[in-house]
Amino acid sequence: MRRSSKKSSSSSAAAATAGPTRGVSKEIERIDQLFCTYADSSSSVIDPEGIEMLCSHLEVPHTDVRILMLAWKMGCEKQGYFTLDEWRTGLKALRADSISKLKKAFPELVQEVTRPSNFQDFYPYAFRYCLTEDKKKCIEIPVACELLNLVLGLQFHPQVDKLINYLKYQNEYKVINMDQWMGFLRFCNEINFPSLDNYDSDLAWPLILDNFVEWLREK
Amino acid sequence: MSSQKKRSSRIEPFRHRVETDPNFFEKAWRKLEDAIGEIYNHNASGLSFEELYRTAYNMVLHKHGPKLYDKLTENMKGHLQEMRTSIEAAQGGLFLEELQRKWDDHNKALQMIRDILMYMDRTFIPTNKKTGVFDLGLELWRDTIVRSAKIHGRLLDTLLDLIHRERMGEVINRSLMRSTTKMLMDLGSSVYQDDFERPFLEVSASFYSGESQRFIECCACGEYLKKAQQRLDEEAERVSQYMDAKTDEKITAVVVKEMLANHMQRLILMDNSGLVNMLVEDRFEDLTRMYSLFQRVHDGHSTIKSVMTSHVKETGRNMVTDPERLKDPVDFVQKLLNEKDKYDSIVTTSFSNDKSFQNALNSSFEYFINLNNRCPEFISLYVDDKLRKGMKEANEEAVETVLDKVMMLFRYLQEKDLFEKYYKQHLAKRLLSGKAASDDSERSMLVKLKTECGYQFTSKLEGMFTDLKTSQDTTQGFYAASSDLGDAPTISVQILTTGSWPTQPCSPCSLPPEILGVSEMFRGYYLGTHNGRRLTWQTNMGTADIKAVFGNGSKHELNVSTYQMCVLMLFNLVDCLTYRDIEQTTAIPAVDLKRCLQSLALVKGKNVLRKEPMSRDISDNDNFYVNDKFTSKLFKVKIGTVATQKESEPEKMETRQRVEEDRKPQIEAAIVRIMKSRRVLDHNSIVTEVTKQLQPRFMPNPVVIKKRIESLIEREFLERDKNDRKLYLYLA
Repeated sequence: MRRSSKKSSSSSAAAATAGPTRGVSKEIERIDQLFCTYADSSSSVIDPEGIEMLCSHLEVPHTDVRILMLAWKMGCEKQGYFTLDEWRTGLKALRADSISKLKKAFPELVQEVTRPSNFQDFYPYAFRYCLTEDKKKCIEIPVACELLNLVLGLQFHPQVDKLINYLKYQNEYKVINMDQWMGFLRFCNEINFPSLDNYDSDLAWPLILDNFVEWLREK
Repeated sequence: MSSQKKRSSRIEPFRHRVETDPNFFEKAWRKLEDAIGEIYNHNASGLSFEELYRTAYNMVLHKHGPKLYDKLTENMKGHLQEMRTSIEAAQGGLFLEELQRKWDDHNKALQMIRDILMYMDRTFIPTNKKTGVFDLGLELWRDTIVRSAKIHGRLLDTLLDLIHRERMGEVINRSLMRSTTKMLMDLGSSVYQDDFERPFLEVSASFYSGESQRFIECCACGEYLKKAQQRLDEEAERVSQYMDAKTDEKITAVVVKEMLANHMQRLILMDNSGLVNMLVEDRFEDLTRMYSLFQRVHDGHSTIKSVMTSHVKETGRNMVTDPERLKDPVDFVQKLLNEKDKYDSIVTTSFSNDKSFQNALNSSFEYFINLNNRCPEFISLYVDDKLRKGMKEANEEAVETVLDKVMMLFRYLQEKDLFEKYYKQHLAKRLLSGKAASDDSERSMLVKLKTECGYQFTSKLEGMFTDLKTSQDTTQGFYAASSDLGDAPTISVQILTTGSWPTQPCSPCSLPPEILGVSEMFRGYYLGTHNGRRLTWQTNMGTADIKAVFGNGSKHELNVSTYQMCVLMLFNLVDCLTYRDIEQTTAIPAVDLKRCLQSLALVKGKNVLRKEPMSRDISDNDNFYVNDKFTSKLFKVKIGTVATQKESEPEKMETRQRVEEDRKPQIEAAIVRIMKSRRVLDHNSIVTEVTKQLQPRFMPNPVVIKKRIESLIEREFLERDKNDRKLYLYLA
């Protein structure tokens, strides 16, 4: 069911500003309209409920990594909420102003994100996105495992699989911090798996990975 | 004179009319030849030196030098050949004598001949690069006699045979040997070396090779070394008596090689008599000899060092891991000290204080002492034992010596911070129970620790002494200022500054009212003069002296702990109390209360209380009474705290945990210090630097260091370098 929009259409605003052509301003209008479809009327942001609805329309599960990628594209700061500015940024960049166009933009988005240069940015973003409070610097192990699977699972399935097992098994660390998170990515990129022959624990790897490697080697 | 054409007058040179006597040379030579013959016949006295000289002179002048020289050579050869025949004819022992005699003759003759032919020697010979007369004579001797087929071998054999016989114990004619070898040397060092020395050394080598083989089969190491020493001395003496000094070095090398170097491993490692055995049995003489003999062998000392090191490490390891030994800490440490003494005296006496041996010992000790992580505790207990009242070494000097030796062991400890923790605990107990025997000795020990580890190590310990002194003054001040104390018990208060003293959590107990009163007055007095401070009574650390009168009339003064006092005072009001009653009234924690009651009721000679039932364990409903039948030979009975014991397992775990916790900030401080000055550093270097900085206190675990680094990264003191994964950067 469509939500009624309380926000007035911005077409008049678009016409008032010089510069954008009719076509572009039409696009912006549609983007904004689309935003209003999902936004909560009182807070003027898309909240988790709205995102869930968006996802069902996109036919993408809302735990899917593509939503995370979309959030990255938008530069979302708060997990579970899209602001208008973020929405505009994201959809403009994807050149999508409707659900179908947005859906079609996903494959390209995935490709874009998995390019190494972008992935280096997306990967820490994913971590920060999961920090639920302002001051927090760590995420709990279960959450970290989920996130690892989501973000690295496809590309590095064997490593991620083993790593998740280890993280669940060990009880020395209850949370993962950014330093360790970045370490995981480096590990997957650099270390030969499953031989682990080029892993040198004398180097500056986070201790959790030293312990992981030792656990693997013992098996 | 007819007048002649004018001629320039010429002075004609005076022409000496030399009658070139065609037989001049022959005649002259015959003269010389005869003379030489007489000389060789010991008949020189009849000759006229001057005439002969002149004859030779003239010959040379008349350019007969070459002929003269050749004739001379031939002539001497002839005489020498005669001599040779007579030498060859000599039998047995007379051979050398005859050789010697003829050599003397020849030398004397040569001198005279040389004198006669001096002019030729000085003019013809140098010009024509010929060998001088004397040297010619020597060469001829060498070639005609010494190296002649029949004499050469026989001479060498004779000499070697005599030497062999002397080695086997016979007495030989040394002066004859001396003059023979001297002859060879006079003939030239190459003659001496080729014709005597080299074969001598070869024969000696095989002789000693054989002898050493025989000895080693049947001799113990010490005995063998004695024999080797003897042989070395013998050979040296032999050389000095009848050989060239340069041979000394060479024959020594031969003996050393054959007797020592070739058998070094076997000797040092010999069962029941080798190095290890010597060390165990303190055989100083044998050790000294081994040290000095193997000094000459390549790798000799390093072999001894390594065998000694592994032996010390092995015995050390057995010592520190033997569970029997670990039962008595004081004895354990005493054994370590004895071991150190033993090896120190060995190094001083037998190894001439060799620094490298001392170092090898030090590293061995350091190795095994750190194998047992209870050593810091035990060493502190040992010092505690020595510094308490009633110790055996009554005089100060002896105590000093013992403490210095203990410091040597202390230096070997890797976990010095653990020692500090125990030392603090033990010192606190000593000071509070008044058991420190000598203030001077205590302070002396502190000074030693300070010298070794720096001011930081001992500042808190010194604080403890200060506290006691101040407390004395404060208590005095309290009594001076309070006049209305009446019958209140006399108290002596020790005020401990938190932080200087080892912390022990103390739950308050209910003090008897008499004590409570006066202690509160004291608190008031103290806080009056020291504003802003907080006083907490440590009821688990105090003592009390109580006068007791028992039912059987005996009177005693009991020295008890504070807890015990609280329990005993209860019996002033009632005769019988159950355990639960006591627990409730005194509020003493159960574990401490049970121990306290056990010491009051179940220890023979100190059982001032009686328990029903008489079982060892204390249950809630057990009844306690004053033991009216209590007797003791002493008026003053001590039922107080037990002497410092080694920790139980759980206590030990706790102390270790605390030490590990204390180490974390120290490691972090070291990391930050290092990174602040270096700015950028790789992981391994940080680990090395941190270890180096903290070594005087403890050996940091590299895994712990890594964890601290990560913690510092999280707290944004450091970060990882984005490009080079090995590096860390300091974040200002």
